[in-house]
Amino acid sequence: METKISFTLNGKKVSLSTDPLRRLLDVLREDFGCTGVKEGCSEGECGACSVMFNGRMVTPCLIPAGAADKQEIMTIEGVRETELGARIVQAFADGGAVQCGYCIPGMVIAAYNLLQDNPDPTDDEIRLGISGNICRCTGYDLIVESIKLAARRGK
Amino acid sequence: MEEVKCYMPETLEEALEIKSRVNAIVLAGGSDLMVSNKRTIGLTPVFDRPVMIVRNLPELKKIYINDKGECCIGSGCTSAEIAASKLCPWHLRQAANRMGAIGLRNSATIGGNIANASPKGDTPGPLYLLDARVKLQSIHGTREVPVADFIVKFKTIDLHEDEMITEVIVPYSEKDFDYVFWHKVGTRKANAISKITVSMALKFNADDTVKDFRLSATATGSKTNRSRDVENIIIGKKISTELIEEVVQAYDKVISPRAMPEFRREATRRMIRRFFGECARHAEGKVIETYDGYRMPGAIEL
Repeated sequence: METKISFTLNGKKVSLSTDPLRRLLDVLREDFGCTGVKEGCSEGECGACSVMFNGRMVTPCLIPAGAADKQEIMTIEGVRETELGARIVQAFADGGAVQCGYCIPGMVIAAYNLLQDNPDPTDDEIRLGISGNICRCTGYDLIVESIKLAARRGK
Repeated sequence: MEEVKCYMPETLEEALEIKSRVNAIVLAGGSDLMVSNKRTIGLTPVFDRPVMIVRNLPELKKIYINDKGECCIGSGCTSAEIAASKLCPWHLRQAANRMGAIGLRNSATIGGNIANASPKGDTPGPLYLLDARVKLQSIHGTREVPVADFIVKFKTIDLHEDEMITEVIVPYSEKDFDYVFWHKVGTRKANAISKITVSMALKFNADDTVKDFRLSATATGSKTNRSRDVENIIIGKKISTELIEEVVQAYDKVISPRAMPEFRREATRRMIRRFFGECARHAEGKVIETYDGYRMPGAIEL
């Protein structure tokens, strides 16, 4: 059953006609080309698909597209254009946070979600901030260090 | 696969009107329903009846204290919103703060957590403990049911086809007790399904007898367990080693864990003994056990 759904995506108004029960994850990737939104576990546990929904991190694998109607969505494609997002991306590159890279868009979103509220987090707060994002390569230490670097550069 | 009809009401009134005509599945956060109905990567979940999306209904998003001093929480409030709200009772905030991980806590709602009626659900434990009620609304009216009765058994709730859970009302908070306890045993601190969670609260009379004692445990049977009979063993009396053991042994008969029963029983026994021990020696501070120092910055302060 196709329904018109309109929302703000990375600052631009967009709309489409689709089944409102399609996962927001699929709509973002397939209809809007936001392929930085990665599918991992498909059940909200790995954080790879994380996006900002009305300014809060969510996992769009759990969200039907209809729930995004008239709301604001920001994916990694939008976050990296912001000052804070760009600073995190650069710190991840400089700090060696990236190995295979699959979890990284979600990690950047988690870091963005953390630093927007708490610009100077402790190690524990950083680990809590990325506790819903699973990385199977790095062992997390370089990601935590890179988020600290991003915070330091923001001072 | 046949697509079902999907409704996207913009007001509660509209949603209740739809419910009066169609027995639609009410989908708020999606963290249970989108998983239980999922197919595979890239495919749309399949539902067996129409779906109504209520995620953004403003009427379901309020948290306030009513004129009786009870905390009223809109069924669409997320775990993150509850954990961050100082109006919400302490036990409930602890549970909300340890549900899933950050992204999930920004989606999952208290209404959904109750409706899912999982014996391992995080919010029912505190809600049973604090005598919480759910407000059920339809176009014909409103009724209130204790959460402990609303959850009938495993995955079964007392909800009529035309009704929606609109509010959760919690009459007690940590302020009504001298000592509070909440502990979740999970395999890790985030994204953990409860292995066992115990909530307790105790208040003394001036003469050191127990005025009020409550105890609930999740993941220890087909639904959350609470027993007034067990609580009454110690109410009105002074805490003693013999009475603690009596409570421990009586509660052990109340719970019926299936998987890893001996672990769950022993963990429950130890938590009860520890709580009473701390209460009996009048430990400083009200909080006996929380959640291993796992603290959401700025969110949880008693």
